Amino acid sequence: MDSKATTSKQIPVTALVFIGWLFLMTFLPFLIILGMSFLERTPLGTISFHFNFNNYARSFQYIYLKVLFKTVWLALIATLSCLAVGFPVAYHLARSKGWMKQLGLVLLFIPFWTNFILRIYGLVSLLGNHGLINQILLSLGIITSPLEILYTRTGVYVGLLYNYLPFLVVPIFSALEKLDPSLREAGFDLGANRFQVFWRVVIPNIKEGLFVGSLFVFIPMLGEYVIPDLLGGAKEAFLGNVMVSQFFVMQDWPFGSAMAGLLSALMLMTLWIQTRWSKTSGLRGGSLNA
Amino acid sequence: MRRSNPFVTTIFYIAILLLYTPLLYLILQTFLVNPNNLKSGFTLSWLIKLFQSPSLWEPLITSLEIGILSASLAVTVGTLGAVGLVEFASFLPPPIQSLIMLPIMLPEVITGLSLLLFFLLLRVELGFATVVIAHASFSASFVYFIMLEQLKKLDPQMAEAAQDLGAKPHQIFWKVTLPNIIPGLMGGWLLAFTLSFDDFLISFFTSGAGLTTLPLKIYSLMRIGVTPELNGLSFLMICISTFLVLLLVSKEQSRKWVLRG
Repeated sequence: MDSKATTSKQIPVTALVFIGWLFLMTFLPFLIILGMSFLERTPLGTISFHFNFNNYARSFQYIYLKVLFKTVWLALIATLSCLAVGFPVAYHLARSKGWMKQLGLVLLFIPFWTNFILRIYGLVSLLGNHGLINQILLSLGIITSPLEILYTRTGVYVGLLYNYLPFLVVPIFSALEKLDPSLREAGFDLGANRFQVFWRVVIPNIKEGLFVGSLFVFIPMLGEYVIPDLLGGAKEAFLGNVMVSQFFVMQDWPFGSAMAGLLSALMLMTLWIQTRWSKTSGLRGGSLNA
Repeated sequence: MRRSNPFVTTIFYIAILLLYTPLLYLILQTFLVNPNNLKSGFTLSWLIKLFQSPSLWEPLITSLEIGILSASLAVTVGTLGAVGLVEFASFLPPPIQSLIMLPIMLPEVITGLSLLLFFLLLRVELGFATVVIAHASFSASFVYFIMLEQLKKLDPQMAEAAQDLGAKPHQIFWKVTLPNIIPGLMGGWLLAFTLSFDDFLISFFTSGAGLTTLPLKIYSLMRIGVTPELNGLSFLMICISTFLVLLLVSKEQSRKWVLRG
């Protein structure tokens, strides 16, 4: 406390409050769920403190693997679709100037700061049997019976695409912003046409941004619970839904915890790939430097 | 060079239009006599009904109270962290860095379930207090990052000058640092409030049976089926959310976080 040198080297008490808070309120509960995954549920429904890996072994049964594959597959398709739609959107934003660019970004994000449940409800009212789409198509005579979109896999897909699009636009946008315009000019000067410049100059230079951005939507999609729950109905359950039903329907907390453990492992793995990539490319995914 | 490609521009405007369609349709439904029939004519009765039924106002008030308390808690904890760690922020050991990122990175469903288990094991009764604490537990990290940036912008010479003039550390904090970080505090508080006000999943797991926030109310009405009250409530919620996001965007400190999602 006497000299400045010593006070600035020790972490102050104020920081310990924050770190302690995080430890107590986030890390400890997470540890509890991980610990729970190695315990066992007795036939009476209580939890026995018998350390084992049975819950993890059980997760690799066919019915759960099927859910895992469905989750990964749908998240993958939705991520690729977000990429396909998000790229031109980001491209347009990166090429607009000044206040148009700011306005574009704000316009893109306003819907995502309205309540998540409301956005889902909005989609339900659009896609349902009496929804806007079916009303219009029916009254135009294009279809005679309502299209079944809601409570199908398509419904989940639309929900994922709708809710994750802006989160992919931002990393692509930042990557495009960082792209040195003289690279493109050099391409043109060397006689390349627009397509060649795009495929051989733009894309190779932003591919890390595309990859990192894709992971940023792919990872949370894997942990999605509400979208499959409300737009997919019972048969389109994701890993998260099966996990929650283990807790509340089956009352098998240890097994539900094991699924949470696997889900976290899946995310940590993708996150690890992402940090490795961003280290080599010097690109921080998801950050906006506009 | 900056010629805009008509194809790209068209996709941009179509995407924006599609992003707004569900929300605009919800607003339109509020004014339809039969919310599921476009041709049924317009009415104000659903909105009037909304303002007359106290059962729909209760969740709103609960949400506001939880938002205010959890945002204040998150701002206190997050700011303490940022003030304490600002000198160390760039060379924090990886475990501490991961700990700070954990609430942001962990999927909400796992955060919610693990907090639920935590509260159950501690035999804490689920309700208002658990939801406030749960919300503050994930928003404190967001506040930390906002405050860190704000503190980094501060001129360290100001604190040094105060110290040279004989101020004690707590005096430096209250008289020099704090007045200069008020914009950040406001931005952080608003962000934490918005995160709390919009949260569904964490509240879903930590609220127990008796407590209903606005998003939980909308969810349970949705489960019952589409009711006209639901549309009135949605309209109200869209207005509040839009107001909040415009406030957040207008503040330099929180704008970046809004546009980052």
